[in-house]
Amino acid sequence: MFIKVRRDTLIILILAFILILSGRFMTYTAYASSPGINEGVPISGVIIEGNDIEPTDVIKANVANEGFREGSYIDGDTLVTSKTRLPLNEAITNAEQAATLSAYPGTTMYPITAASITVDNQTGIVTVNVIEDWSSVVVK
Amino acid sequence: MRNVNIARVLVLFITTLVMMNAAAATCNVIIITDPTGQDPNGAAAGSMSFDSNMFESTFMNSPQDKFAILSGGADTSGASTVVNDTPRLQMIVQCINALKSGATTESAASIANSFSGQRLVIGGPTIGAAIAGTSGNWLIEVANDGTITITPTTGEIGVLPPGTKGAVLHLLHTPGNPQPDNTTAVGLAASEMIGEQIRDGYPATQILANTFKMVASQSGEQYGGGGINLDSGISTEDTFTPSQLNQTGFPMDQPFEKVDNISGWGITYPDADSYTTSPIDNNPLTVVYAYQALEHYITVEPTNASVTTYGTDDPGIIDTTQSVVESSVSKNGFDATLIASDINKAISSGLLIGVNPVEPDDIHILTYTKQVGIYYTPLPNGRTAPAWNLPISSSILDTIGNLQTAIGLIMVVLVLFRSTLISSFSRRRKKL
Repeated sequence: MFIKVRRDTLIILILAFILILSGRFMTYTAYASSPGINEGVPISGVIIEGNDIEPTDVIKANVANEGFREGSYIDGDTLVTSKTRLPLNEAITNAEQAATLSAYPGTTMYPITAASITVDNQTGIVTVNVIEDWSSVVVK
Repeated sequence: MRNVNIARVLVLFITTLVMMNAAAATCNVIIITDPTGQDPNGAAAGSMSFDSNMFESTFMNSPQDKFAILSGGADTSGASTVVNDTPRLQMIVQCINALKSGATTESAASIANSFSGQRLVIGGPTIGAAIAGTSGNWLIEVANDGTITITPTTGEIGVLPPGTKGAVLHLLHTPGNPQPDNTTAVGLAASEMIGEQIRDGYPATQILANTFKMVASQSGEQYGGGGINLDSGISTEDTFTPSQLNQTGFPMDQPFEKVDNISGWGITYPDADSYTTSPIDNNPLTVVYAYQALEHYITVEPTNASVTTYGTDDPGIIDTTQSVVESSVSKNGFDATLIASDINKAISSGLLIGVNPVEPDDIHILTYTKQVGIYYTPLPNGRTAPAWNLPISSSILDTIGNLQTAIGLIMVVLVLFRSTLISSFSRRRKKL
């Protein structure tokens, strides 16, 4: 042997190793069993209601462009997105406006006349209620 | 020299003439096989054309009021590429408003007559169908005793009254289509096939796919477009439509994807060209044509549940949930409790990540249209698995864990400087 290690030294080292390992494991267990919310509520999903002919995907994309998308989260009264942080009220107003600008795919028809958005601060679920009214659509 | 110039001018003149005539010619079809609205596949509609710009506005669908409005692609008037879509869209908006306020299909279709060169094909499972405008229109009626009546309805409104089995079909040759104009013959042949298949009891979605196959391969009016299942409100949406303005959509008689029938793995063309076997289990792949893909997409089958997930937009969740629900439904039928337990099994085995376990009342089932909606609650902080349920508080575990790590590290330090420490201790003792 190149290094002379006494047997009791070795035992103590192994003991220390086991201690550290089990200590780390317990910290992980603590993490895994804690509900742990510390950086706000993430936006978990967007539900669109009230549209009929207008495809849901179009409205969803427009609302996502205003920050209500995967990866954003709500911190108190602030919406934090991957690009910016802005007050939640302002984000909701912007997104409501964006929803009314949803065109029918391939055309310039805008059948969504009004939209209201509610954000659940506990679950992070965004519900977009829209009113679709074709009688007010003007084709230019 | 002079002759060449004259020839050039002539070619230019002819080209301009052809372009000027470019009306939105297309293939529109609505098929109703169950006028009571009870069969989830009892009514279907679809649009395709040789023309470009067959966007979703050429096969609009109202899932709420159960009607479809079909029309042509955009007119490109003259040699310019400016899309003159206005009259068609104005007509569509008027038609939607008429149908939403409860007008009959006949009066709604008559709107087309106030727009020159425009055509409307409308219908729904219980309101019947109607076709108006331009030429190349066919009305197919199938009486309860199996008698098939095919009427070409050019110049007047063709009406399939509510409560009658039948179909309406429009087929016209698009200028520029290299195939010779055989649309009258193909239209009649397609009408006959539709009539026979309605009589023989095929579901409307399957007849639609067969019609698409026949029309696309024989007349060349082949680019999607797409199809709708009117009873269940399922549309192919942008699957076959063009991705950009002034482009054509996907040809409906061409191979669309390759699928492994055992594992369900699939890949669309052109990427599918480089695959002959499935990379998962080396099974041979089956080629699926676009009209077959359309049929599978809009047909509601006993085990083919259409799954919608809410509450999370995580990638992969919807696909995995779909396959879990499909296998659960084929085993146990539409039972919320059993679907929930199968989903929870998938969550605990790590197949579905990032969501909390679901309960039976998080699952909404519409047995009639085979639709299953699942409301997930996502996990916070990008966690992948739900929190463990342990009898000891997590903060105590955290403290003990950190303490143990610290003790372990101190022991390592002590052992490393063992001899130094011991000798310094013994020296101090000697001094005393």
